[in-house]
Amino acid sequence: MIRAFFLGLSSQVREGGGWISGRGEESMNMIVCVKRVPDTAESEVHIDASGRDIDKSRLSFGINECDNYAVEEAIQIKEKLGGKVTVISLGGKENDEVIRMALAKGGDDAIRLDDPAFAGSDGFAVAKALAAAIKDLEYDIVFTGALADDDGYAVVPVALAELLGVPHATYVKDLEILEDGKKARVGRELEGGLMEYLEIELPCVLGIQTGINEPRYASFKGIKQAAKKEIVVKSAADLGLDPSEVGEAGSWAVLEKFSVPEVGEMAEILEGDPEETAAKLAQILKEKGLI
Amino acid sequence: MSTEEISFIEKYDLLGCIQCGRCTGGCPVSMRTNLNVRRFMYDTQNEERLEELSERPEIWDCTTCYTCAARCPKGLEPLEVLIGLRSLQIEEGRVQPTVRDALESIFKDGNPWGSPRAKRLDWIGDLDVKVLEPEAEETTDVLLFVCCTDAYDPRVMKVAQSLVKVFQAAGVDFGIIGEDESCCGSEVRRLGEEGLFEMCDEENVELLNSFNVNRVVTISPHCYNTLKKEYHGLRHPVLHYTELVAQLLEDGKLTLSKEINKVVTYHDPCFLGKQNSIYDEPRYIITRIPGVEFREFDRCRERSLCCEGGGGKMWVESESKAERLAEIRVTDAKDMGAEVIAVACPFCLLTLEDATKVRGIEEEMRVADILELLAEAL
Repeated sequence: MIRAFFLGLSSQVREGGGWISGRGEESMNMIVCVKRVPDTAESEVHIDASGRDIDKSRLSFGINECDNYAVEEAIQIKEKLGGKVTVISLGGKENDEVIRMALAKGGDDAIRLDDPAFAGSDGFAVAKALAAAIKDLEYDIVFTGALADDDGYAVVPVALAELLGVPHATYVKDLEILEDGKKARVGRELEGGLMEYLEIELPCVLGIQTGINEPRYASFKGIKQAAKKEIVVKSAADLGLDPSEVGEAGSWAVLEKFSVPEVGEMAEILEGDPEETAAKLAQILKEKGLI
Repeated sequence: MSTEEISFIEKYDLLGCIQCGRCTGGCPVSMRTNLNVRRFMYDTQNEERLEELSERPEIWDCTTCYTCAARCPKGLEPLEVLIGLRSLQIEEGRVQPTVRDALESIFKDGNPWGSPRAKRLDWIGDLDVKVLEPEAEETTDVLLFVCCTDAYDPRVMKVAQSLVKVFQAAGVDFGIIGEDESCCGSEVRRLGEEGLFEMCDEENVELLNSFNVNRVVTISPHCYNTLKKEYHGLRHPVLHYTELVAQLLEDGKLTLSKEINKVVTYHDPCFLGKQNSIYDEPRYIITRIPGVEFREFDRCRERSLCCEGGGGKMWVESESKAERLAEIRVTDAKDMGAEVIAVACPFCLLTLEDATKVRGIEEEMRVADILELLAEAL
């Protein structure tokens, strides 16, 4: 059941792209993209007056769950092989708390992409902004979460890799750096709990799935100390992006409206032991001509 | 790491230890785990060993019940050394995921139970409870500090609901903070998260001081201990509910008319008894309930057996598979013919009630907070 792929990309693919890691030793330069999302698991969610967003006034916010595992993975690799971890997030100043937690855990540098022009970005437009910020950085691996808790698009890692011209793997739940940091062996979680193992050339983009590791705790003191580290803020212009390329204007998907699924009227609860309910169900399906 | 900066020896006065062994001799968890606190008092004098010692799993077995400190002839607090070692692990981010999640939840939502602030008042249901306004002109007598466990835990919220009924029956003028109430941080400090505890201290003191009230009453002895003894600059006096209710009964403001014809014993919570010497008020209240036949545990008051719910243990699973202290406790209660174990702490309530289920005696042995019994006797 386990297949092995070799997604080797020839060097010319990368020529027009970013800096190519040329060190002999295994030290890794890594970038982790993190998103700040509302915590909706335990809360009631209501659509706001605009109909295009949810009312977030009473929600608490934190790092996107997959991204938290991505941060941990990067830091564990840094601890094992040496290197540097740069944290990038797109959003306003409120994102600094999420960034600082990642810095407290062992991140070195941070960049926040902040511009009113980014408002309404879909996954593709977010990837464009991230790619613009990443392309001139030194990197072996760009980590993102496999998908976001809020919109669940799962687009960013794939689009980002395409824009950077590097290979990617998503739903990564196992990772091992091979051969002096030139390749990695990644395990992808597939449907039905299958794992697919691939060898991937670096640099690459990896969309991390939860469960790949056990994220550490960022102590309060650590977060406070991390506040001393600079978070470089970049606008669309700083990234060389025209406002038409990002935000709603630069998006392929535009969110039109949210709606709550309508509650149906017919619901019949079958009672009895499993044998009886199964027989009743079969009869109903037969009567309706469905089987 | 501040713990190392001040030096362990100075911070905990380790050279004052005479290795008499009274701490280990009294330690309730030493019965069921490898924890040997006397050994830690000795070994932590070697600063080079601190990191290695902080990695020992048994430092997380301590329930911070305070027996070791209460028994120390030199006035030292051996439990604090274990908390200090925990803080070294916290600084490194190396804690059990359950501890991490509880601490992150406090940082984010002000409670350790992973629930949003928006649900903090769900326990009130149909009850009519006043939510206080900061800087109000009119003075309210009592600010009720509800506690996260009473607010969010479906079992324990019945205790808070009972308290409202009791206070209303006695005509107490009281109010609550509302959704802005945050964790007191008692367990935060005991899990070794010093920085987060400082935040709890600062923010809660500022918040509590903003209310025009005569006094603060807590439901949990853990909140009580922290507000009363560990906060800096709180201007209101702090009472545990047993203190206020005993007074209400004595003053004739609270009358109990219904009988509870049961044999009731009382389990002293460590944070109320050993740590704050409140032994008489709970017993006074229980014995005022009509019909109650009160029986004491053999191990009661200062010698009361810890239930293992404190010291952050609600979020730490011990490696030991030996019988839990709470199981010993409920068996003792059964053997002495008790039908109800009365408690005055949310953690004791949960640990002892769980133990009755583990022992399969939940039908014959009821665990109830004193407030629940009072509400039934109104």
